[in-house]
Amino acid sequence: MTLLTPDGFILEAQNVAKSFPAQEQRLELFSALSLQVKPGESLAIIGRSGAGKSTLLSLLAGLDQPSSGHIKLAGRDLSLMDDAQRAAFRSQYISFIFQSFHLLPELSSLDNVRLPLEIRGDKQAEQHALQWLKEVGLEKRVHHYPAQLSGGEQQRVAIARAFVTSPQLLFADEPTGNLDDETGQQIIEQLFRLNAEQQTTLILITHDPDLASRCQRCVTLNNGHLTERSL
Amino acid sequence: MSASVRILRRQMQGQLRTTEWRALLIATWIAITLTTLLSLLGDRLERGLLRESASVLGADMVLSSQRPIQTLRLQQATDAGLTSTSVIQFPSMISAGDEMMLSSVRIVQSPYPLRGQIQTRPSQETDIPEPGHAWVEARVMSQLGLSLGDRIELGYTELIVKAELISSPDRGSGFRSFSPQILVNEADLEASGILAPGSRAEFRLLLSGSSEQVTAFAQFLKENLGDEERLFSLQDEQPLGGNALASALSYLKLTSLIALLLSALTIFLSLKRFSQSQHLRCALLLSLGMTQRSMVVLYLMQLVLAWAVLALMGSFTGIALEHMVSRWLDELLPQSLPAPALWRYFTGAGVGLALLVLLGLPPILGLSKVSVSALFRDEDIKTERRGLALQVMCALLLLVVLLSFLEAPMAAFILLAFLLLGGAVLGTIAQFCLKHLATPLAKRLLLGRLLVMRLRQQRQWHRLQSAVAILLLTLLSVVWVSRTDLLKDWQAQIPDDTPNYFVVNIQPWQTEGLQSFLDDANVNAVFFPMVRGRITTLNGAPIHAQMTPEQLEHNTLNRELNLSWSNQAPAHNIMTEGEWWQGETSGPLISVEEEMAQILGLKLGDVLGFDLAGLEVEAQIANLRSVEWTSFQPNFYVIFDEATLNQFPATYITSFRLGQEQQELANQLVRAFPSLTLIDIDQMLLQLNQWLTRLGDSSALILALSLVCGAMLMLLTLQQALEQRRYEGALLQTLGANAKQTQQLDLLELMLLGGLCGFMAAIIAEGIIALLYIHLLDIAPQLHLGLWLTLPLASFAFFTVSGALLRKRLTLDQCYRLLRAH
Repeated sequence: MTLLTPDGFILEAQNVAKSFPAQEQRLELFSALSLQVKPGESLAIIGRSGAGKSTLLSLLAGLDQPSSGHIKLAGRDLSLMDDAQRAAFRSQYISFIFQSFHLLPELSSLDNVRLPLEIRGDKQAEQHALQWLKEVGLEKRVHHYPAQLSGGEQQRVAIARAFVTSPQLLFADEPTGNLDDETGQQIIEQLFRLNAEQQTTLILITHDPDLASRCQRCVTLNNGHLTERSL
Repeated sequence: MSASVRILRRQMQGQLRTTEWRALLIATWIAITLTTLLSLLGDRLERGLLRESASVLGADMVLSSQRPIQTLRLQQATDAGLTSTSVIQFPSMISAGDEMMLSSVRIVQSPYPLRGQIQTRPSQETDIPEPGHAWVEARVMSQLGLSLGDRIELGYTELIVKAELISSPDRGSGFRSFSPQILVNEADLEASGILAPGSRAEFRLLLSGSSEQVTAFAQFLKENLGDEERLFSLQDEQPLGGNALASALSYLKLTSLIALLLSALTIFLSLKRFSQSQHLRCALLLSLGMTQRSMVVLYLMQLVLAWAVLALMGSFTGIALEHMVSRWLDELLPQSLPAPALWRYFTGAGVGLALLVLLGLPPILGLSKVSVSALFRDEDIKTERRGLALQVMCALLLLVVLLSFLEAPMAAFILLAFLLLGGAVLGTIAQFCLKHLATPLAKRLLLGRLLVMRLRQQRQWHRLQSAVAILLLTLLSVVWVSRTDLLKDWQAQIPDDTPNYFVVNIQPWQTEGLQSFLDDANVNAVFFPMVRGRITTLNGAPIHAQMTPEQLEHNTLNRELNLSWSNQAPAHNIMTEGEWWQGETSGPLISVEEEMAQILGLKLGDVLGFDLAGLEVEAQIANLRSVEWTSFQPNFYVIFDEATLNQFPATYITSFRLGQEQQELANQLVRAFPSLTLIDIDQMLLQLNQWLTRLGDSSALILALSLVCGAMLMLLTLQQALEQRRYEGALLQTLGANAKQTQQLDLLELMLLGGLCGFMAAIIAEGIIALLYIHLLDIAPQLHLGLWLTLPLASFAFFTVSGALLRKRLTLDQCYRLLRAH
């Protein structure tokens, strides 16, 4: 069941600010960001290096706490939750895809994919994991270890791992950043196909204009402000 | 299988391939092994010789004297309601056929002992041997090739070996308690003809009774103790014979402190590295929904599981090593060691758990605080730097656990401070030398400047590495040399004609016969009379009142001395002040040993008063002599003029040298003069050598384990250091250097470090050994060329080979990727 804010958003950021201590003063990355995302929507966040895209993504995903403001995710205000509640919430509703894949090297593709299910205590973990590996075209690579896979294959395992929990929200950080153009293109195709099929809300960070153009919406983070960009 | 168990299993399997986890396992294994070994061995030794005091004494209380116990004492003991029995113990040559052996003979009367039990094989119905029989320890039986029923000769009498003595209390004090013993009935003493007035023997009165009776009588005796009497009771912390083993035990425990410290340091560093290597993993697991609490539980489970396996392995190896060491010592110990307390088997596992949990808790709690958002930024994942109080608390708790395990907290604390301070000083000196060694080298090498720069950057790492390496190599070398070379070098420096036999308890009427026996065999021997006496006054006033507390500690004021007389200065002494008396003297004169005079502040013309068997004699100091105590000649602190002392009952002593081809003469001598005590110095040195070797082997074993820990520590930090160098190397390669040059830079640094550590260890070890030679053995120090070659080469090879094996060569492509990853 999809949980929404009263206004029908799956994600809503209100006047979010983030600052860091830097020597004797505080460095303000952004002061009053607001953003709303509807269920099933795909949103690209772009901006120059150092603009704070990754920080914003961490805040939106509940991995970090804003200095002020509120972030409501699937109807719940993250700032009102403690660490354990946020972890449980993430486990239930959110998945991630990283630029560096971040697969556990000692685990096979199958084990990497079933790991989040095992953390949740899913008894059908292996079955679901196999199904998702087949979905991303790696049914012949289930027992291979990350070191035995190409970069593209590793990212596909990471995609399978992200979708296996049927998340409502998927956060992706430069998912094609470490891949060559051709492989990157294949990954993009797969990601958007699954996004459409699963009705998952996708929020991604990218420098790649092609990738950003595949999203339904695109926002630019510049000088601490978010600007909606028409596609 | 539950999910967390599966995750744990896979996690542990994967981590078995990492250096930090392996180092952690090995260091913990060694720590558990060592603590198990020491706990078991310590308990057995303590139980055997210290704790079971009653059994060691053979009574509740023992009155010991160098003279026969006065009958008054027996009467007093009976009046106090105590049971008593007398024992006489003396060294004597026992012979059987052509074989002979110096043994400690115990002459006993029934009831004996008053506490504890004598064990014999086969067991006997009587508590002591019957007249004409002897109970003999296994060492005597094996050396003399005896079987039950064989005959042995003790002085003029023959005894039948009736039983093998397995264990017995009341072994006497000092070195004699370690000599092989035989037990003989009092009725056979006279026939043996061994003891005569003035003979060297220990007379003991064993006493037992109720606790109140014993305490009251002990109090009474302490207030009325004669000069020659000593009292040993259950209240004494170290009763008879315990000192040597207690010292050995303390020595082993302190040696093990080094190993424990290194294990703790290795465990600490490997846990730190391990937790750092887990940051990414933890961030990922947290991003996948694992809670912080589950994360802590997961890693604690991993530690506890590792501990469970290591506790089994470590306890097993500890028990096996303890068996080995106690077997080494068992051959030299008077009786078999008793079994240890059951809980001692678990000490190693307990200390291991304390080490892992107390050192592991802070980094594990830190793991649950890793920043997940760093996964997005692809940067080094950091954990919150919290919990300093927890870290300090855990470190203090661990210190308490380790110090209480060593049971000598003050000594351990001092050694700990010494090691840390010494390590810091050595590390700084090594780093200073390294810098100055590299400067001239730098001018000749292409990458020289970089080397100097690296030495500057990595100075902390160099200090730690060199301190650990130098300390370990030094300690191991000192133990190794003292185990084998010390006594050998000392023996080698003894002149060839140094006597190797002493004959004591020679009665005046035997001197002529013995002299002609030795003359016939062309053996040169001078006889010295001996009268026992105690110094009582100086210039007419009690000497004790005139001395400082330090002077009162001097050997000559705390016991009866063996005094001699002579109208000629001993040929092996050198006159330093005054002149030897000639012919008739106007009054009693004495010659005093120079060092004793110096310490007690005695000068020519001073008058010393002596108590000679109850008679007061005063004599004036006529001259001072210097004495070479290690010359194996009979030497005396005080020598009288003949006229003054020859009226007192005396025995004689002599020493002589028998070459290898003359050994048979010793057997003939014992047969011709059965009541004399012949002491074979070579045999005693052999026993001492065996002790040193066994003790050396035991501590070398512990130090070898320390070395493994030290090597693990070095490999661990070396790997970390090489990773940093990898990045630097990659940068250099992209700037134009080739792979070979970056490799040369790494290896040159490690070779310099290795060679220097070995060289410094050789200097310090040689210094310590020289001090031992000068102060302990009183001989000229010698150079140990082996150390100067082995240590630098071994250390050089270790650092170079480990560096070469751990270092990974990078292709240019790999360099780019590595730099990008940073």
